[in-house]
Amino acid sequence: MTDLQNAPPAAGPPRDATIARAEERILDNGLRVVAFEQRSLPLIAAQLVVRSGGADEREDEAGLAALVSALLTQGTAERGATELAAAVDALGARLDAASGYDASVVSVSATTPAFPAAFALLDEVVRRPAFSAHEVTRVRAKSISDLALTYANPSAVARLVAQRVAYGSAPYGHPLAGTAATLERLDREGVAWFHNAYYRPDDAALIIGGDIPIDDAFVLAQRVLGEWRAPNVPLAPRPHGAIPPPRARVVIVDKPEAGRTALVAGRVTIERRSQDYYPAVVATAVLSGYSGRLNQEIRVKRGLSYGAGASLSARRMPGLFTASTLVDHARAVEATDVTRATLRSLVDAPATDDDLIARKATVTGGFFRGIETIDGVAAALAEHVLYDVPIDDLQHFARRVQDVDAASVGDFASRELAGELFVVLAGDASRFASTLATKHDVHVIPAGTLDLGNAAGFA
Amino acid sequence: MTALPTISASAIRVEPLAYVDRTLANGLRAILVPDRRVPSVAINVAYRVGGKDDPPGRSGFAHLFEHLMFKGTSRTAPETIDRLTEDVGGYNNAFTSEDITNYYEVVPSNHLERLLWAEADRLASLTVNDANFATERDVVIGEYDQRILAEPYGMLDELVNREAYRVHPYGRGVIGSPDELNAASLDDVKAFHATYYRPDNAVLVVAGDLDVDETWRWIERHFGAIATPPSPVPRVVAVEPEQTAERVYEHRAANVPLAAVEEAYHIPAAAHPDAAALDVLETILGAGRSSRLYQSLVYTQQLATSAWASADLRQQPGLFSVRLTCARGVTLEAGHAALRAELERIRDAAPSEAEMARVGTQIASALVRSRQTSSGVALALVRATTERGDPAAVNGDLDRYLAVTAADVLRVAHTYLRPENRTVIRYLPQ
Repeated sequence: MTDLQNAPPAAGPPRDATIARAEERILDNGLRVVAFEQRSLPLIAAQLVVRSGGADEREDEAGLAALVSALLTQGTAERGATELAAAVDALGARLDAASGYDASVVSVSATTPAFPAAFALLDEVVRRPAFSAHEVTRVRAKSISDLALTYANPSAVARLVAQRVAYGSAPYGHPLAGTAATLERLDREGVAWFHNAYYRPDDAALIIGGDIPIDDAFVLAQRVLGEWRAPNVPLAPRPHGAIPPPRARVVIVDKPEAGRTALVAGRVTIERRSQDYYPAVVATAVLSGYSGRLNQEIRVKRGLSYGAGASLSARRMPGLFTASTLVDHARAVEATDVTRATLRSLVDAPATDDDLIARKATVTGGFFRGIETIDGVAAALAEHVLYDVPIDDLQHFARRVQDVDAASVGDFASRELAGELFVVLAGDASRFASTLATKHDVHVIPAGTLDLGNAAGFA
Repeated sequence: MTALPTISASAIRVEPLAYVDRTLANGLRAILVPDRRVPSVAINVAYRVGGKDDPPGRSGFAHLFEHLMFKGTSRTAPETIDRLTEDVGGYNNAFTSEDITNYYEVVPSNHLERLLWAEADRLASLTVNDANFATERDVVIGEYDQRILAEPYGMLDELVNREAYRVHPYGRGVIGSPDELNAASLDDVKAFHATYYRPDNAVLVVAGDLDVDETWRWIERHFGAIATPPSPVPRVVAVEPEQTAERVYEHRAANVPLAAVEEAYHIPAAAHPDAAALDVLETILGAGRSSRLYQSLVYTQQLATSAWASADLRQQPGLFSVRLTCARGVTLEAGHAALRAELERIRDAAPSEAEMARVGTQIASALVRSRQTSSGVALALVRATTERGDPAAVNGDLDRYLAVTAADVLRVAHTYLRPENRTVIRYLPQ
């Protein structure tokens, strides 16, 4: 035995990662089925992706898609909410429904022997939800209670306000969970209408896989969902609304009781299908993570916060890029300056190809960890299907990231991230609003008058 | 109603984890779990030192050390671990609990030896100087401000520990007090490191894409020369006296949108024979939408926006807690009375056979899910070894749970959920 050597030993040769193979078929009713096989553990998962969500609800009915999702698991034609919950738990299964802006997803997973029965429950909640008046009233009241918790959290408030500031009255502007006022307006008829109009096999996809041969998965999908009929009417047109052009401004939600000030800076950038998608992902990675530029500038160099990062949500329509952090009220001005300067640094001090080696590794590493579980594989395939990206792209994700060079990251950053950024701050405005007003176009909203249901208050 | 088949827990295949358990001459225990499906490997190094081991008047030391372990060594610059993980597509982090400080990395498997070297390096030759100490102390105090002071309900866990323990150091929590951290000197910190950061106080678990013989050679090469001091590692011997009267504490704070209440009952340590029945009790009360607290308090009576149960089983006697966050417009008194009624119900009558069967299936299914990632497998082995004293406990888990009877659940509910054994924290807006 010798003393510890002075430098790390060399890395060995990398081993190739294998990614679950996926195949797709379209059933006679128009339902697209994507099946994959990953048989290491006795678990099977399925996700039904309905290609409509919060972006399809009207401004004055914000929260409708989410309410429909929440009600799906609260009783069906066959059994009430309590019986349904007991059935799911007796199978050791998970059955969940949730809505984003672009999609509503019902997901189920269970151990191999329990899966057929659990999958039958997914079919039941998707096709035959009861939407009883009692459950509508109960779930709506609980959603309003939950909003009180959301509004107590400055980071959550800043994110919701950022969505409004970026999109105005366009479809991604309103809060997915609704507001107390819009939720009070929602009723059983509206819920049933949304479900009837949008939950249909010819505008949905099923992702299914895990410990099951691909052919068996197709057979199971056909047997359970093959009789689901599409309505004879075309899909309702999606709501429109022009996305306002990016504008440099500062919007402050005054929350004197908040413990810290949350900051979200950003702007609307690209859609998921954009050819800039991979450079955008890498540019975001240059800013994110412990070693990313935001955390280095905000936490490591200045101790302004416990953490800072960036995210990109590329969607069907142009999605939002954001940088965010949480700071002491007294340092909100400094955090605003540093965040803006750090985003600007992508142009002034662009990342080199050498810098990108590590940042690209963080992206591909995160991708491979994401598909370590079958729920992760199903979610990744669901995203491909939702945004009309070929499912084979899952096999090529890592290579496409590796192909991104410094020039394309620089181009993307200078076009999409450099100027016209909004900054939203939620915290004790008395500590920073007047200083920021000397340098920026500042708009202050007292937390008590915040109405996310109405775009007009954010213009 | 279409009858659905139910699944018995025994129909669910849970393969035992095949691990190798070896100890170096210097006392370092290494547990290796080869699983070559994915070219990635998880490395965990757990030191048997946590919040309970903080010196008197120096609460938060174990947690402060967690931060210092990232600040470089005599051979490496600060953030070397980040370079060796993040930059190659992996990640690293650490946590401090009441009982352990656990450092972990997940990396592509061709980088395994580099991380074993880095973990050995920071055990052997950490740089503990004034500059590192001062900056990390500020970061920890910032974390305290953010997690404890700024978060709604952030103080609740701290209050539960503080009020439930009068003698045992579990009462001081983990994150520490800013005043005590500010009072510490560099000598205090060095003494703490010398006392607890030594090979015979560590458990190394490596799970994932590895070859056992090659990995063992690397462990011998990099950890083998680190000396173990002759003195024994000090252990907490304080015993919390039996609680004889209910304690009620009321806390009012800004930024509390809905009133909340938690009741915490003293329970035995994780290695105690009643531990499995307490985990089953947690599942009956709190797991899934069919659990008793959800069905009664959230669903039927609509008094709560969430309700939760937790058997917090630790190396030394822990707490069984139930917590309720009131729905809008519901008084704390109304929510609390309903929560208590549920606890009385489980004390008065054994759960039905159907409920026991459901819980068995839930637990077996959760166990299968937890095996999906190498990081999940590694953490399960760390916890079994440090909290229950034996890595083999991971493979006995399912049988242990399935052996619990309805009568056992009734008995532990009766034994531990007694009014004089509880601490109540009422958390209200100002």
